[in-house]
Amino acid sequence: MSLLEISNLTKSFGGILAVNEVSFSVNNGEIIAVIGPNGAGKTTLFNLMTGIYQPTGGQVLFNGNNIIGMSAHRIAGLGIARTFQNLQIFNNMTVLENVMVGRHTKSKTGLLGAIFPISRVQREEREIVEKAMEKLTLVGLANKAMVGADNLPYGRQKMLEISRAIALEPELLLLDEPAAGLNSTETRKLVKIIYKLRDQGVTIILVEHDMETVMEIADRLVVLNFGNKLAEGTPVEIQNNQEVIAAYLGEEDLVC
Amino acid sequence: MEDLKRRKRLRHSLIALFTVIIFILPFIITNNYYRSVLVIIGIYTTVVVGLCLLMGYAGQISLGHAGFYGLGAYVSGVLTSTYDVSPWIAILLGAVGTGLVAYIIGIPIFRLQGHYLALATLGLGLIIHVVMMEEVDITGGPSGLTKSIPYLSIGRFELNTDFKYYFLVWIVALAAIILANNVVHSRIGRALRSVHGSEFAAQSLGVDTGKYKLQVFTLSAIYASVAGSLYAHYITFISPSPFGLMTSIQFLVMAVVGGLSSIWGPIFGVTAITLLTEGLKYIVPKMIPQAGGEYEIVVYGVILVIIMIFLPEGITSGIVNLYEGWRHRKELADVTSGDK
Repeated sequence: MSLLEISNLTKSFGGILAVNEVSFSVNNGEIIAVIGPNGAGKTTLFNLMTGIYQPTGGQVLFNGNNIIGMSAHRIAGLGIARTFQNLQIFNNMTVLENVMVGRHTKSKTGLLGAIFPISRVQREEREIVEKAMEKLTLVGLANKAMVGADNLPYGRQKMLEISRAIALEPELLLLDEPAAGLNSTETRKLVKIIYKLRDQGVTIILVEHDMETVMEIADRLVVLNFGNKLAEGTPVEIQNNQEVIAAYLGEEDLVC
Repeated sequence: MEDLKRRKRLRHSLIALFTVIIFILPFIITNNYYRSVLVIIGIYTTVVVGLCLLMGYAGQISLGHAGFYGLGAYVSGVLTSTYDVSPWIAILLGAVGTGLVAYIIGIPIFRLQGHYLALATLGLGLIIHVVMMEEVDITGGPSGLTKSIPYLSIGRFELNTDFKYYFLVWIVALAAIILANNVVHSRIGRALRSVHGSEFAAQSLGVDTGKYKLQVFTLSAIYASVAGSLYAHYITFISPSPFGLMTSIQFLVMAVVGGLSSIWGPIFGVTAITLLTEGLKYIVPKMIPQAGGEYEIVVYGVILVIIMIFLPEGITSGIVNLYEGWRHRKELADVTSGDK
């Protein structure tokens, strides 16, 4: 059985179909890239899968459970983590604290435990710090742990978002344009991190415009255009798909 | 993480230092009027610590905290004066009752956001105030409770002077600060601050934002209720007037002036505004003999505007920032003078 099964997923904003009857499935351990021109519905797709938007129709099965209608925080609890295209760093917290929030679903201290921190609570707190440091080390930010997150440069904030998302130890990780705004060194580092996560058994879906990176790391690609699924296949298949080429380069190229 | 431990030690030593100061203060200050001001500062601090948790950490505004403060005062006042309930049990009942009211009212209120939330809490405060005014049989209406409220006592030891009451009030205020500090540096505190930083990201990490906002709203209402009970047993008479909208605004100004993102903010904010209010009570009638009580709101407004413009993070962070700016400039000056 596949980890994620999206069928006939549809979302309309007023009269505009942002996502129209999109279906595809993702297997355990795969790296899937969702590509398409601006406004194709890629980020909307992520927002539907993480409960930020509720779809107009269709369903999303995660490990066989329909997650449509669930609130965002419950979906996160099931093991789907994500990053954001427009960074959503907690600027009011340190780098370490950002990642510690990522351990939220893996810890259980309630308000009463927070008010009166007995030894169980303190033990859990130490565990949270250790795990968070582990994730920061993975993305190379361990030495910035005590720095205010808003003091990090853009590229490092993107890495921080990734380490915060994987602190949740998700089965499925959604990366929304992880390479956007990164220089080539940072992009190489990102690719290494993605491979490392895949080796740890994390299934990854990424939305990305950097075609070189996408073609290198994705096992399969899903192409969206104006909310519709245009094509699905391996990087080689997609590169040779006439419809995809037309969507990216314009109709005229088909004619000549 | 040596760094984390060092910060924790620093926090603990600050609290210890503050505790020592608090316990020495009433021996130095022997004037009864000043002592009574210190008692009031302690009571207000307890309310504002709770309000700061709600505003600074959960990012939610309440314009109705005088209502919860009043609920605590009235439950204590009515139960002890009319029904002879033990004052300590009455405080507990007030806290539980107020917590319940906040929780139940909070469920629909927290579906709202931003200005709507502020308005809903404003309405809640007004409703509580109206009940105090109109339920004459229970509350005595606008003129207040007819029977006097007993002093609190520990065994046979009656807390009937400012000096004695000071210690009780400040032990409660210190407990409020320490417990709030625990909350801030916990899983819940981080969850709350994350909601403040980015609600989307918080949700995507599994933080049930609504649940924690509601819990902290309830906790802050309980803080206000306990402070209200302490107020009732201190003054030994209550009427609706100290629990109106003006008091809610006063709490809000205290919280903002002190700074929302520090656990020390409330003490500075409450002290600054209380001293100012007391000062104005003394000065204004001399300067403008026909002035009514409403001049306070003008002064609060002006202070709020000035703080918002010059120290938007409040006095506490403002002072730290000013100090760091000064140190930074000094370092720069040292470096440049070294070049010459």
